[in-house]
Amino acid sequence: MKLITKTILYYLLISLPLIIIAGFLSYHLIRSELRDGTDEMLWKEKLHNENILKLQPEIKKTYLSLDSLSMISPTLFHKDQYVFSDTTIFDVAENENVNYRLLKSFLNTNNQTYLIVVAKPTFEEEELLEGLFTSFAIIVGFLMLAFFAVNWFLSKTLWKPFYKTISKLNEYNLQNHSNENFSASNTKEFNQLNTALNKMTEKIHSDFLLQKEFTENASHEMQTPLAIIKANINLLMQSPNLKAEEMDQLQAIDNTTKKLASLNKALLLLAKIENNQFKEISEVSIKDILNKVLAHFEDRLMAKNILIEHKIISDIKVKMNSTLAEILITNLIQNAIRHNTTGGKIILETENNSLIISNSGEALKINTDELFTRFKKNDASKESIGLGLSIVKSITELYNYKIEYNYKNLFHEFNLQF
Amino acid sequence: MKILLIEDEPELRKSIKQYLHQEGYLIESASDFIKAQEKVNVYQYDCILVDITLPNGSGLDIVKQLKDANSKAGIIIISAKNSLDDRIKGLDLGADDYLPKPFDLAELNARIKALNRRRNFDGNKSIIVNEISIIPEERTVKVNDQLVNLTTKEYELLLFFISNKNRVVSKNSIAEHLWGDDSDQLDSHDFIYVHLKNLRKKLADKGCEDYVQTIYGIGYNFKIN
Repeated sequence: MKLITKTILYYLLISLPLIIIAGFLSYHLIRSELRDGTDEMLWKEKLHNENILKLQPEIKKTYLSLDSLSMISPTLFHKDQYVFSDTTIFDVAENENVNYRLLKSFLNTNNQTYLIVVAKPTFEEEELLEGLFTSFAIIVGFLMLAFFAVNWFLSKTLWKPFYKTISKLNEYNLQNHSNENFSASNTKEFNQLNTALNKMTEKIHSDFLLQKEFTENASHEMQTPLAIIKANINLLMQSPNLKAEEMDQLQAIDNTTKKLASLNKALLLLAKIENNQFKEISEVSIKDILNKVLAHFEDRLMAKNILIEHKIISDIKVKMNSTLAEILITNLIQNAIRHNTTGGKIILETENNSLIISNSGEALKINTDELFTRFKKNDASKESIGLGLSIVKSITELYNYKIEYNYKNLFHEFNLQF
Repeated sequence: MKILLIEDEPELRKSIKQYLHQEGYLIESASDFIKAQEKVNVYQYDCILVDITLPNGSGLDIVKQLKDANSKAGIIIISAKNSLDDRIKGLDLGADDYLPKPFDLAELNARIKALNRRRNFDGNKSIIVNEISIIPEERTVKVNDQLVNLTTKEYELLLFFISNKNRVVSKNSIAEHLWGDDSDQLDSHDFIYVHLKNLRKKLADKGCEDYVQTIYGIGYNFKIN
């Protein structure tokens, strides 16, 4: 949920009950104040009537108002008390019920007891209340609107640096790290956040560089010892008195050294790709590279009796490093040969801006998601070192190309979108 | 032929010297930049093998120095830095070849021979081994004066064998020589077998003796008495 939505929701949650309680309380307060006022007026009228009665000797039942509610009438009872009450009378003229406030009191004068009733319609009071409530509601409504507007405005302006930081974080890429990623803001908290983020990314970046440098250096440093091992194997091999068993051992050492050397070479290549050391970019023709690579693998294709089916409709020209382009295509073709069946097939086709290389072969035993992961091999016993597709992946990532793998109708399909 | 090996790693220096010595070369060595500089200033060499990363300096500077002095020596850079930049820089400076570490001694030997042939130190353009004669410039092979029609891989295989004649060359060395970096161990051994079988047959058809001995487990030896 967005911060602004949350703020508004909490505000509503707290303010709605408060508004209801405040409305309820003020309704009652105002109402009782108004009633007191009406009652006071009725009382004054009653006193006035009493004064008139005291001056007049005898009086019959007299109506004091048009609505025949206020009146003076002689009565037999006498109570030494007065009563305020409410009543509702249907007003024919207005065709509605009208509320009245009544004051009944008794007066004993000239040996006669009189009942004095004074009444006053309370519609004024109600209208006043209604008016008050309408204005109250309008004020609350305006307050709410103002609140939303202010919140929206604040989130747009005050929180702007925060959202900027978030989008920067989303865009953040270790490969193109710059020193001042999160710029200063005049809000203290955001400034603290940005400083902390700057420090953190700086640290991550330097660790990342160190790790890359380490991989590259380690691989470099391993080349010379490997060369020494290789040279000594070469020399040992020349010995005329080697027994069959020793030759087998020598062969094992030689094979392993070769594997180690190619592993090292691949790791170094990966480090170089990630260190962006292949900077020279030129326009390369994928078709030309494919032909070159296929020629290179010709004898292997023949040995495995693999048929190449060209479905290339158009050439794809891309701007990238030509060495990397060659490595990319070589690894994909090598993969298609290595994991092919004898007498199998490789289909090459282009579709818009993508190259599709598919080859016949058994389904993968490993999870397809792990296909591009380093050292993930479908068949542990196979000769591959498990870095070919990771190299493909890191080249595609370098140029923002997309590579997808699918297994369809007994064919492994790699779709490379330039 | 006189070779100067500039390499700081003693073990590697020792093995290279030993292997090349058996080829009948006169080989001297230098372990750092200063010693190397002294040697190239004083003596003439036919071929110089130079490592790029040296104590006190860069091998590339030695290449530059040799070229500035119009040296006739062939230069092969042997480096742990297999970067395209270094390769291009080295070759631009005038080096003749660039061999990244780790390399096979058989490969180094073949490269020295190829460089030698290109520079034509021996004064002739063909390699003659008994009844086999090869003209590298034309890529032609003759046995008893009859042309043998070889594929590229078969030709390269034969040349590699002859460059390392009377030596045991491992299948891995051959695979790397023929297919370079992306030679898969297991299947490439089978391909070598196929190419060798064809090569042997083509040579035998022209009446060539079978010089290729199979060395159990390891590889082959092109044996010439």
